[in-house]
Amino acid sequence: MSVLDVQHVEKSFENVRAVQDLSFSVQDGQVFGLLGPNGAGKTTTIRMIMDIIRPDKGEITVFGKSNNIQVRDSIGYLPEERGLYKKMKVFDTILFFAEIKGVPRSKSTPLARTWLEKLELEEWQDKKVVDLSRGMQQKLQFICTIIHQPKLIILDEPFTGLDPVNTGLLKDVMLELKQQGTTIIFSTHLMEQVEKLCESICMINKGQNVLYGNLLQVKQKFGQNRIRLSFDGEAAFLKDTSIVEKYDNYGQYVELTPANGKNSQEILKIAAEQVTVSEFKIAEPSLNEIFIKTVKGEVAS
Amino acid sequence: MMKTFALIKREYLQNVKTKGFLIGTVLMPVLLVLLVFMPMFFSKMEVEKQVEISVIDYTDSVYEVFAPALMETKMIQDNQSMYALKKLNVPVEQLSAQKAELDKKILSGDLDVYIVIPDSVFTSNSVEFYSKNITNFDFISRVERSLSSVISDLRLNQSGLDPELVETLTHRVNAQTFKVDKTGSEESSGFDTFMVSYVMVFILYIALLMYGQYIMRGIIEDKNSRVMEVVISSVKPWQLLTGKVIGLGAGGLTQFLIWSVSFGLISTYGLMMVQIFNPSVSAIAIPALPWPVYIAFVLYFMLGYFLYATLFAALGSMVNTESEAQNLQWPIMMLIIVAFMAMFTIIKSPDSTLAIILSHIPFFSPLLMFLRITLNAAPLFEVLLNVVVCLATIAGLLLISGKIFRVGILMYGKRPTLPELMKWIKY
Repeated sequence: MSVLDVQHVEKSFENVRAVQDLSFSVQDGQVFGLLGPNGAGKTTTIRMIMDIIRPDKGEITVFGKSNNIQVRDSIGYLPEERGLYKKMKVFDTILFFAEIKGVPRSKSTPLARTWLEKLELEEWQDKKVVDLSRGMQQKLQFICTIIHQPKLIILDEPFTGLDPVNTGLLKDVMLELKQQGTTIIFSTHLMEQVEKLCESICMINKGQNVLYGNLLQVKQKFGQNRIRLSFDGEAAFLKDTSIVEKYDNYGQYVELTPANGKNSQEILKIAAEQVTVSEFKIAEPSLNEIFIKTVKGEVAS
Repeated sequence: MMKTFALIKREYLQNVKTKGFLIGTVLMPVLLVLLVFMPMFFSKMEVEKQVEISVIDYTDSVYEVFAPALMETKMIQDNQSMYALKKLNVPVEQLSAQKAELDKKILSGDLDVYIVIPDSVFTSNSVEFYSKNITNFDFISRVERSLSSVISDLRLNQSGLDPELVETLTHRVNAQTFKVDKTGSEESSGFDTFMVSYVMVFILYIALLMYGQYIMRGIIEDKNSRVMEVVISSVKPWQLLTGKVIGLGAGGLTQFLIWSVSFGLISTYGLMMVQIFNPSVSAIAIPALPWPVYIAFVLYFMLGYFLYATLFAALGSMVNTESEAQNLQWPIMMLIIVAFMAMFTIIKSPDSTLAIILSHIPFFSPLLMFLRITLNAAPLFEVLLNVVVCLATIAGLLLISGKIFRVGILMYGKRPTLPELMKWIKY
């Protein structure tokens, strides 16, 4: 079942086309990464999902409903622009955000305690928000985002500004929520986190969908044809276009793409006949490489 | 409903709990008490000393009438007069020597004042007044008044007329004012009515400006803390706007309530307290108002508050800094100021067509319709119609402002132009 459907959405601001013909969907229980460079249209897309701004064209349905107001209370949203009421106390802040999602204080109080403890903020609960460090404020805002136990969480750049320890803490919490069946959509340009967390991704560049699908499939699409080879000797087969479609010599090693119909095993056999192979690896490109290549337009979608 | 209530509660508590609010709320009545009591304490502490006056009179007739007339004007403790007068008989040729001696006495403090009445006073209309302090105008005018009446009586006597008869014949005419309303006519001072209407309209005027700008600042503050995006993703814009306006308004009402209760207490019991210390203080009469005026005051305070608060809120959502808001708020300020200025015309003729038209313009009504009510010039059906029109305007404003608010609240940087604003509203 799909929790979120984005269909042919377009949005322009003045003369800038922020989002063009964007479509993707997120399945129930998935962790979905919305990737893209700065200014790609991630935040615009998320704001349209949250019904903060409306698309010029296309349709967005959340939990099968196109009118977001009905489903708002089952969504938790952490915007890119962080902000809390500075003069409010930490504990009151959490209860307030639960209340405006329709959760009464009696219900949110024990939950707030648990979360403050889990994110190591319990000593700060009676302090004012303004007394907290930025990192702590960010953790507090995360609690405010999930205090009403939403079925769908949308996090816009959740990791920016967090140190490695807190990044790890947040990642663990996200995985825990996923195990409880929460669907999580988050935008980031930190590929490391995506590789650890996401099952599916949608990469946008200049407002367009450039890469979309299951993370493994995406990687295979990029990785299955690349072989990394280190060797001693004269590798005449590299120049044979019936075996190797193209190759890049990096000095220490060579990266090659097998010709059509040749698989990696055949390449290994041929290579072993001609040279002494010291390393043979089917290169799975990191998401980082895919990201950079995609953004630079080296790969046509 | 729960969401709106949560917003109202948060807004209310956050504002009532601030130091500024507490200080402002408590300090105001304290200041008022000080303002009323301090001068009275001071005047009590000051020992009233008799003023020693020497009079050199060359007329032989003025002093005898003047002395008791002046002494009568101000009494102090034990039924004594404030003024102790002494007549000096000085031959004309010794006058300058005597004056030099009296000057010395004044400087040493043995004498406060000496007055020289020349025999030409009936034609020159002038006496000489010598003192260290010649800025005690209250005292000097007592002397002048006493002397004038004494001398004019003497003049009348000399010309063979009876001063009492002249007094009766030349008495000026006063217009006794009666205010006519449905319950009949009642003796009442036009000046009192004017002052009460003026003060109440002035309070409304100040309150509308103050709380409107207060709301605007609150919104700019929230906008700068970037908290709005989460809130707006949880509640509808009009809920946020309503929460803000009602929450802050309730805070303002709390403050007003504390102020008016303490003002009421001060004006009721303050005088009693003061009289314990200083029995000579007399009551200042505050004219009693009919209760519909009080109801109208609260009603038009609330209507005006909502009208202007929604406008100021929309403005606050459009800008990023307070100084930017200062530059843009003049159209709203003008509405209030024009209404306030129109008061001075309408107070003279509250029944005129101009008054009726102006008071029915919703943005002017809180001041002008209320003014006409205090002047008994607004029939009930007009008031009811006006309240309905104001409520409809508020509803419309909430809708429009809510839309501006929804977009504006998330816009940072460039200020919107008028066409852009129209787009936001249609959005």
